[in-house]
Amino acid sequence: MSAELAQQIVNGLVVGGMYALIALGFTLVFGLLDKLNFAHGEVVTLAGFIAIFSVNMGLSIWLTIPVVIILTGAVGIIIELLSFRRFTSKEGHSVSALSSFALGIVILEMVRLQWGATPVQLDIPKSIYISGTVLFGAPIPWIKFAIFSISIFLMIALHLVMSRTKIGRSIRAVAEEPTSARLLGINTTLVTQYVFVIVSAMAGVAGLLIAMQNGIVTSDVGFTFALKGIAVMAIGGMGDMRGAIVAGLLVGVLEGIAFSIGWGGISDVIVWFLMILVLLIRPAGILGGGRQAETRV
Amino acid sequence: MTDSGPETNPPGTLDGTGKPVLEIDSLTKAFGGIQAIDGVSLTVNDGEILGIVGPNGAGKTVLINMVSGFYRPTSGSIRFNGQKIDGLPLHKVGRLGIARTFQNIRLFNRMTALENVLTAIKQHTTHPILAALAFAPSRQGIDEAMELLDLMGLTARANQGAGELPYGDARRLEIARALATKPKLLLLDEPAAGMNEQETGELIEDIRKVRNRLDAIALIEHDMTLIRALSDRIIAMNYGKIVAEGSSKEVLSHPEVVEAYLGTDEEEDG
Amino acid sequence: MIANLLNGDNVVFTGVNIILAWGVYLSLMTGTLTFAMAAFMAIGAYVAGVLTVNFGWPLAPAALAGMAACFFGGLMVGFPALRVRGLLLMLVTTGVTFSVQVGIENIEYVGGVQGIRGLSGTTPAIVAGSVFVIGGLLWILSHSPLQRIFDAAREDESVAASLGINIVFVRVAGFAVGAALAGYAGVLWGHYVFFIAPQNFGILESVFFALFVVLGGVNNMWGPVFGAVIITLVPEIAREFGSGFAEYRQLFFFGVLVVLLLFRSQGVLSFRTISLKAPIKGLRPVTSVSEERADD
Repeated sequence: MSAELAQQIVNGLVVGGMYALIALGFTLVFGLLDKLNFAHGEVVTLAGFIAIFSVNMGLSIWLTIPVVIILTGAVGIIIELLSFRRFTSKEGHSVSALSSFALGIVILEMVRLQWGATPVQLDIPKSIYISGTVLFGAPIPWIKFAIFSISIFLMIALHLVMSRTKIGRSIRAVAEEPTSARLLGINTTLVTQYVFVIVSAMAGVAGLLIAMQNGIVTSDVGFTFALKGIAVMAIGGMGDMRGAIVAGLLVGVLEGIAFSIGWGGISDVIVWFLMILVLLIRPAGILGGGRQAETRV
Repeated sequence: MTDSGPETNPPGTLDGTGKPVLEIDSLTKAFGGIQAIDGVSLTVNDGEILGIVGPNGAGKTVLINMVSGFYRPTSGSIRFNGQKIDGLPLHKVGRLGIARTFQNIRLFNRMTALENVLTAIKQHTTHPILAALAFAPSRQGIDEAMELLDLMGLTARANQGAGELPYGDARRLEIARALATKPKLLLLDEPAAGMNEQETGELIEDIRKVRNRLDAIALIEHDMTLIRALSDRIIAMNYGKIVAEGSSKEVLSHPEVVEAYLGTDEEEDG
Repeated sequence: MIANLLNGDNVVFTGVNIILAWGVYLSLMTGTLTFAMAAFMAIGAYVAGVLTVNFGWPLAPAALAGMAACFFGGLMVGFPALRVRGLLLMLVTTGVTFSVQVGIENIEYVGGVQGIRGLSGTTPAIVAGSVFVIGGLLWILSHSPLQRIFDAAREDESVAASLGINIVFVRVAGFAVGAALAGYAGVLWGHYVFFIAPQNFGILESVFFALFVVLGGVNNMWGPVFGAVIITLVPEIAREFGSGFAEYRQLFFFGVLVVLLLFRSQGVLSFRTISLKAPIKGLRPVTSVSEERADD
């Protein structure tokens, strides 16, 4: 393996982990409500700027993690309240999609009014980008390992929450059988709110990790990553959490390989083409665990 | 069509050839591990009204859903006038001449009663492109639809929103809409559900009025008055299987039927 | 202030947006929210642009060629894609917009990311006339049996199908004609602004066109017009308030949109026009139906 390729694959895994974190948010909301949350990406952007704000206030970059989780979790509640709760009619899918899109732009505009549209530097020691180890002849800084570990840690934590806790079991029950879950006394509104807090906090951490990796934050970062996240969700199977993780890493690595062979310019098209292919040939996603939106007509 | 007692069929309606219109052969349907239909074979003959009775969960609606193309059978075959129809897309089943109503009324609630019927007019549904050009000369379609509304006694409701119609009228409108597709076989899924005695009586008359427009009717019902008044032949189902078949007297007194389903019903009907 | 708004730019941009909104509306009418409109707009603009600039065609046949390309593009995307439903389709159409945009960026013949220059010929009168003609056709459609078939497909697709309506055909037709309208809008727009480039036709634009319709309402042809006019002209009106407001324009606009959707999720003009009234005297007159059965 050439050093160039090794470097790109490691980068791909790191970025893929973030794709997966963001895609998990899309897939959880879809699994629960059959809806797309287009404000999700702007939570990622917001988190980057919250990190900048906290670091500028003198907080260490690690201590910003809880700050980001709390603030973006709160934003999640607002998103659910404004763009999802009321839209239960037949056209609710479209209305929620566009309402959350508009809400995302509102968040984005507030960020731009505060910090401007140009990239802002994240003030952390430059040394963390330099010290590291060598893998297959490619120098890899420790920060990449840290970022990847945090992504994996969050995924495991999410898995534990979903399988071991009462909240997680309620979420799964509502996702599978909303009517029965309601009959069993599960408060579906509350469950929906929990989900929005969880996914927004995860997107927040993803935004923080992206900021740490790049050293700068731009206001269009959320848009770029959210579109990738949506494609990853679809490739992994809509509503399939394991699929989202596998697809996220896969897409990240594919992009890395595309860059190393000089196809970087069309890596986006590769991803979207892959998504269309998966949707048409295998609508339940690569692992086959997604919801098939097929009806007989 | 003259007046007739509830126990006998009006004269002149059994003029069908008696040939099978619908032939179902060892049909099964499984949902996950649950066997909803378990080896059902039956025929519906030209000119008859077939009543299908059975307790809730016996698989009656599942059966109708398969005949009308909503569900794909797990195994077995369904033939309509000799043509295999299981596995056909919904609209092809509809165009061949099978129409249905729904247990939970499914009208287009944002349209008026007249529009509901107009939507189903066969010449438009089969040629949607021509339908766009039928702006001016669609007179014929309107006449057809008005005639059907008239038949079901809904003329005065024509311009009313389907969502605002009272229950009985909504049921009748669903039948009128089904007839607009010019069906040969009409499937009625619990048409009397939620109706009182008087409304059921009216419905019986309405179904008698429409039967000579059709080759055959298959009817699922809990209401024994309706079943007795209309059915030429009855099939009783339980646990996805046919447990009895024959004339209404034979089936409704069949011990297994009485035990499974009619035990509590006998006194109020009998 | 109103007089200031009535200039050539505003007429053209509003008209183009109305046509785009009708394109989205046609597709949404059969139950499909599409985010591929910018892609079809691009295809229309580029096909016609190449024909007028490189081959010297007059605008009218070039526009027809652009529309035809979009119609067939719509069929090609539509037939496989419309077998999947709802949200998945939103994703497929998003992917189409992306792929077309990046695809054009990589075609040297049409200038890649640089785009093509020299498109001209669209006048405000052509745009206004087009809006009236297309509007007239849609009005005829809304009173024809086909409108009811569309409505039925949207309201309950399986019931509609069991009545003999070929849902896939109806959807693909709505989608492809919508695509052709978007292509025509692209032709008009491109030949007015002189210079087109791939970045004019991104996913943001696609979502924006869908917003016209959702803001205005999906149930009749006037909702999209309302949405398109408001969304096109509000920024212009805002400009009149002076530059101090410009910074907050987007924030204000989308904030209002979120609130508006909260209270009128069906859009601002959400009544459904009755396509045909029963020819009987003495019946209670009805003009629109919006109520749903209470016990549903």
